Amino acid sequence: MAAPVLEIADLHIQIDDKPILDGLTLTVRGGEVHAIMGPNGTGKTSLAQTLMGHPRYAVTGGAVRLDGQDLLAMKPDQRARQGLFLAMQYPSEISGVTTANFLRAALNACRADGSNIPLKEFRDELDRVMQFLEMDPKFANRYLNEGFSGGEKKRNEILQMLMLKPRIAILDEIDSGLDIDAIKVVAKGVNSLKGPDFGALVITHYQRILDYVEPDFVHIMVDGRIVKSGRADLAEELDKKGYEWVRSELVRTGTVEES
Amino acid sequence: MNSTAAISSQTELHALIRDRFGHEPDWSLSRRLRAATNWFALDWPRLERTPLQKRRLDAIAVYDQPPADGETQFINTGGLEMHLHNNVPVVRSIPEPWIQRGVIFQSLRDALDNSLVRQYLGSLLAEDSDKIAALNAALWQNGVFLYVPPGISETVEVVIQNYATSEVQALLSRNVVVVGAQSRVAITERWFNAGAAHKMLLAANTEIIVEHGAEVQYGAIQQCEKNAEAFIHRAASVAGDARLDWHIGEFGAGLIVSSHQSHLNQAGASTKSITVFFGSGQQHQDYTGKSVHHAPHTTSDMTARGVMKGKARSIFTGVTQIDKGARGSDGRQREQTLMLTDDARADAIPSLVIDEQDVYAAHAASAGPVDRTAIFYLTSRGLTEEEATRLIVHGFLAPVIDAISQSALRDEVWQAVERKIRE
Ligand SMILES: Nc1ncnc2c1ncn2[C@@H]1O[C@H](COP(=O)(O)OP(=O)(O)OP(=O)(O)O)[C@@H](O)[C@H]1O
Ligand SMILES: [Mg+2]
Repeated sequence: MAAPVLEIADLHIQIDDKPILDGLTLTVRGGEVHAIMGPNGTGKTSLAQTLMGHPRYAVTGGAVRLDGQDLLAMKPDQRARQGLFLAMQYPSEISGVTTANFLRAALNACRADGSNIPLKEFRDELDRVMQFLEMDPKFANRYLNEGFSGGEKKRNEILQMLMLKPRIAILDEIDSGLDIDAIKVVAKGVNSLKGPDFGALVITHYQRILDYVEPDFVHIMVDGRIVKSGRADLAEELDKKGYEWVRSELVRTGTVEES
Repeated sequence: MNSTAAISSQTELHALIRDRFGHEPDWSLSRRLRAATNWFALDWPRLERTPLQKRRLDAIAVYDQPPADGETQFINTGGLEMHLHNNVPVVRSIPEPWIQRGVIFQSLRDALDNSLVRQYLGSLLAEDSDKIAALNAALWQNGVFLYVPPGISETVEVVIQNYATSEVQALLSRNVVVVGAQSRVAITERWFNAGAAHKMLLAANTEIIVEHGAEVQYGAIQQCEKNAEAFIHRAASVAGDARLDWHIGEFGAGLIVSSHQSHLNQAGASTKSITVFFGSGQQHQDYTGKSVHHAPHTTSDMTARGVMKGKARSIFTGVTQIDKGARGSDGRQREQTLMLTDDARADAIPSLVIDEQDVYAAHAASAGPVDRTAIFYLTSRGLTEEEATRLIVHGFLAPVIDAISQSALRDEVWQAVERKIRE
């Protein structure tokens, strides 16, 4: 399959008639890691959830294409089967469904030929990935995210990502609440997928994870739009100067109206 | 005198009963006649959240005798098993060794000469509480009598299967179960029928006597068609150190009004109940579970879990009653309902009626919609919405269904759940 391309063009979204995204444009290709940074409440999670197809968000303008296909016309499960993955900021807890059973169901659902993955093959792969992510194998038989600590949930998101091997992954604050060792493990997971057939959009507030995943592009998002894009050093600059610096620059260049 | 569209007077009904049941012992016949008098005097059951006026039960030809659907075959299935078609026992199996040991397993009509039947029929479930109770008492067609003598420590497995063909207008059943001291019994009861354009009234009462130290598992699964308007009541008296487990799966019938109650009469008596229900379409389900602690050091634990979809409506009323003097008793209940659609409705109504200080009692109840965020989470990994819902329903019901110790029944309950999910 050709390298994936996720194109977001002039995307506008609302929630309960309240505008959240205000013309966001961004393209993520295979082989690229993009980071999005931005103040709280600026619409990063809304963007991520909209890309995955959460029904709560209404798209009021613009287009999103994955490999040229209209992503917005697809249901979330179809998007997943097209190779899109979202590591959620707040993963759900699913009582009574073990992580392993869920993952097997998900893998079977995503298999193009409709066949089921042989149990042994699945088990071996699960063991391998859990070991790689330094996870206690017991988590496989625990109910999905139920009673998991914040950090354990994040690690479980990465486990799912490595098992499902998406073509484009969106990671929404995968680093929040993680200790430094966990950040390294999570970054190791992301880096293991890196290659021409994999693109990533990493949403974060912190420079630290970017030290390990090394984004090719960094975008700053304010009030539902990308207001500044650059290379990895933009994140470092932002880390030092804060959002006030971005805002004042924007005002100076007349990009936004002073509020 | 089989087709009886219009019976408008007590005299006519008495004549019908004499005609149909005249050969029964006097005590039974006079009971029926007494109940027939009540039938005209009483009202339909009054249920707070289940109004019956609109269901037009009056229009059902309740006096009709169901046509026979086969003759009794005595076959040995290896266990105790009775199949009643239209309340005619068509299969009856009781292995010789059990007969030798004094086990009695007969149709109730055949057991009317047994003094235990006379003693216990109507001892736990009133026959004059409402029109349905009176109708059943007056015209009950058949049922099962099971007697297990004291001291049978290997579990006696019993299957009772009730089926009604599409011609049936009213299926009226009575069962009496007596389990002697220290004996063990596991009963699996099934209810189903062939659907029809007309409504069928199903009224079934089961009374269970659990003697000292006995252990009874009473499992039942109801999968009637939606033309059934079912009233299924079960009551048990539990003696000292005896134990009764209820495992009840309710899936079918357009209307189901069902109850199970355990009277813990002596110290050490205990009961545990699991009710699993799943409503869909226009189903209306009204369940009551009741644990009554009459004696000290008795324990009860009631669990109900249900799933509602379509426009289904359910009510689960749990009552834990602890009488004065029932010191050191422990009564618990929890009810949880999951609603898959906006139009589904479920009420859980727990109540504790406690007249004694020195007891432990607790209840928990919840009814809520399926978590849309959880569905989104699962679908975002490639599962269809249906498959995601199925997983969530499975996860919700697994802790209670997997606690059903009767394994064949447990599998049937899972299959019924799968069918309801796909429906
Ligand atoms: N379900 C919702 N109901 C109401 N408002 C919402 C909902 N989801 C998001 N919003 C609002 O949309 C705006 C954007 O929220 P979003 O979660 O996308 O921000 P974010 O950039 O991810 O913030 P953070 O950095 O804190 O995670 C906020 O004002 C938020 O309150
Ligand atoms: Mg966010």
